[in-house]
Amino acid sequence: MQPLSHAFKERSVAALQDETLQVALHRAKDGFAVKRAKAVAGLPEFDALRDRAVAIKNHTLEHLDHYLERYAEAVERSGGTVHWAASAEDARRIVVDICRAADAKMITKGKSMVGEEVGVNGALEEAGFEVVETDLGEYIIQLAHEPPSHIIVPAVHKTRGQIADLFHENHAKYGLTRKLSEVPEMVNEARQVLRGKYLAADVGITGANFLIAETGTSVIVTNEGNGDLTCSLPRVHIVTAGIEKVVPTVEDASTLLRLLARSATGQDMTTYTTFSTGPKRAGDPDGPEEYHVVLVDNGRSSMLGDAFREMLRCIRCGACMNHCPVYGAIGGHAYGWVYPGPMGSVLTPLSVGLKEAGNLPNACTLNGHCAEVCPVRIPLPDLLRTLRHREYQLRLGLKPLRWGLAAWVWFTAHPRIYRLGTRVQARVLALLAGRKGRFTRMPLAGGWFRGGRDLPAPQGETFMAVWKRRQKEQGR
Amino acid sequence: MSGRETVLAAIRKGLGRGPLGDAARAALDRRQGATDSDPLLPELPQGPLAQVFRAGLEKVAGTMSEIASLDEVPGAVAGYLAGNGLAPEAAVAPSLGALDWSGAGVVAQVGGTRGGDLTGISLAWRGVAENGSLVMLSGPDNPTSLNFLPDHHLVVLRADDLVPHMESAWGTLRERGEGAWPRTVNVITGPSRTADIELTIQLGAHGPRSLHVFLIE
Repeated sequence: MQPLSHAFKERSVAALQDETLQVALHRAKDGFAVKRAKAVAGLPEFDALRDRAVAIKNHTLEHLDHYLERYAEAVERSGGTVHWAASAEDARRIVVDICRAADAKMITKGKSMVGEEVGVNGALEEAGFEVVETDLGEYIIQLAHEPPSHIIVPAVHKTRGQIADLFHENHAKYGLTRKLSEVPEMVNEARQVLRGKYLAADVGITGANFLIAETGTSVIVTNEGNGDLTCSLPRVHIVTAGIEKVVPTVEDASTLLRLLARSATGQDMTTYTTFSTGPKRAGDPDGPEEYHVVLVDNGRSSMLGDAFREMLRCIRCGACMNHCPVYGAIGGHAYGWVYPGPMGSVLTPLSVGLKEAGNLPNACTLNGHCAEVCPVRIPLPDLLRTLRHREYQLRLGLKPLRWGLAAWVWFTAHPRIYRLGTRVQARVLALLAGRKGRFTRMPLAGGWFRGGRDLPAPQGETFMAVWKRRQKEQGR
Repeated sequence: MSGRETVLAAIRKGLGRGPLGDAARAALDRRQGATDSDPLLPELPQGPLAQVFRAGLEKVAGTMSEIASLDEVPGAVAGYLAGNGLAPEAAVAPSLGALDWSGAGVVAQVGGTRGGDLTGISLAWRGVAENGSLVMLSGPDNPTSLNFLPDHHLVVLRADDLVPHMESAWGTLRERGEGAWPRTVNVITGPSRTADIELTIQLGAHGPRSLHVFLIE
């Protein structure tokens, strides 16, 4: 998709003013954090498992070439085909070619973030295929022609009223004309419509939560069962996966699975965990005749060489965004690309460039909550700071901010002048504020006061001065 | 350069090294056999595995009944269907096809399903006590379609096939050697669910609306 991250500020303001979105976000935020905390409290080994997970991921990334080669050999031994896509464009071309060769008409899809990243749907539709998303949330946003706003619950920003309208507009062609209002009947209607699609599809495309090097297996987790109907009913199963998804053994995948569901939805285990190895075997009554895996690099390999290698541990659970005050206030769409929240604020500038997405690493309070809940201990605030530093070095970002930072650097390098300046400033501001002790407006700082926020005035003394005085009073 | 070579070269460039030598690769392969990976397995609650399994299954809205032998399955199924107001007919996995279904008054369609069957009955390969999960292996006798297309999924599980953690099941598969993994291994923990509309949990999104386990003593 075309990134819209450059318009982050405008999109954030619009999101803050969107009352429907605010209701949806509020509901999501409380729900996820409480459920996760409960699930984590129920597993005393959770923190020790996180350490294991970090070790597994670090080991695999250090030997990524080896494990991918072993994985590809195992897939081929089981009768599947591995395709290597260096770029998003390669990935799109490979998927379209497989669908053409299979003479496909209809394609069902399980939710795949890498599919969103490389733009598989757009390429397939352009090539004339009918593509149907089958995860309920993805299906809803496909009907709305929107990108996902969350990596686990893509339609979290939609209310049931909006979804009812979408179904009403789009389901009439199936003879379903009643306007719905309750969640169970909406789920049932989507189930009914999508059933037909699963059974008619020629190709099913899924992502992968893990790839297992030892056995050549791809693993997907879904609660709905849509991933399973997508990968077991059509003639052809295509898996799109980032190269960082590989782990050495099924035991390693099991360790990560214990963290994934708890971090994502607060479940102990996702309902359906499915291990697919190759195409159907002789005598199998179902399963696909062809099994393809598209391994997508698209910039990941270049992250191996610097601090951002840690980001490749990400298992896409969404816990960082569920605990982020910025995401909680503006939702996923404001970020303007596929991955929102803290993990998206790291990945988006690396993918689409700091010039496009420089605002994202700056839209962070560095409160550190994301790093605290990350199941694979990615130091997200550190990575965001590194990106801010990079932005400064590349001379990107707002000019007044750069000038301000330059002035700050000069002052902090000259402590005497700095102290004198703060002494004068504290006194002058205290005088200006008068007895009220607060400012309600100030030149050049209009943004601070927007929405009725005020600013407490200094008391007249600097911290250093107070400190010195007290030390003296205590006779030291 | 092929896609494969391009990607592998880019990875090695990122890692700042060339291809690994044979000795290094052999060492990694030994780890891949899980001989020294020693997974950390969560401690399970006290009590027999069947009890721990039941607690996990019920936590995710699954149900379970215990019966004495495999021969009693058709009668128990008939009772379950009648008790839930369901017609006495089902798609039955070939692995359970030899049971006396007609004797219990159940019309059994032995084989997979294309979605026309309200009830599907299959045989689990293992039950995992940790979360009340069922491990289903695909194969000629166990169609995967039965796990997902029917509205009601009834699963037969032998108590002897209960294991504490998933890892016990994986160890058994590994011992079978090369090619031991069937096309599909489904680890199923409860009936299908979604929370995609206003985070309201709703059972029966695309897969079964209910999941019942018959545990054979």
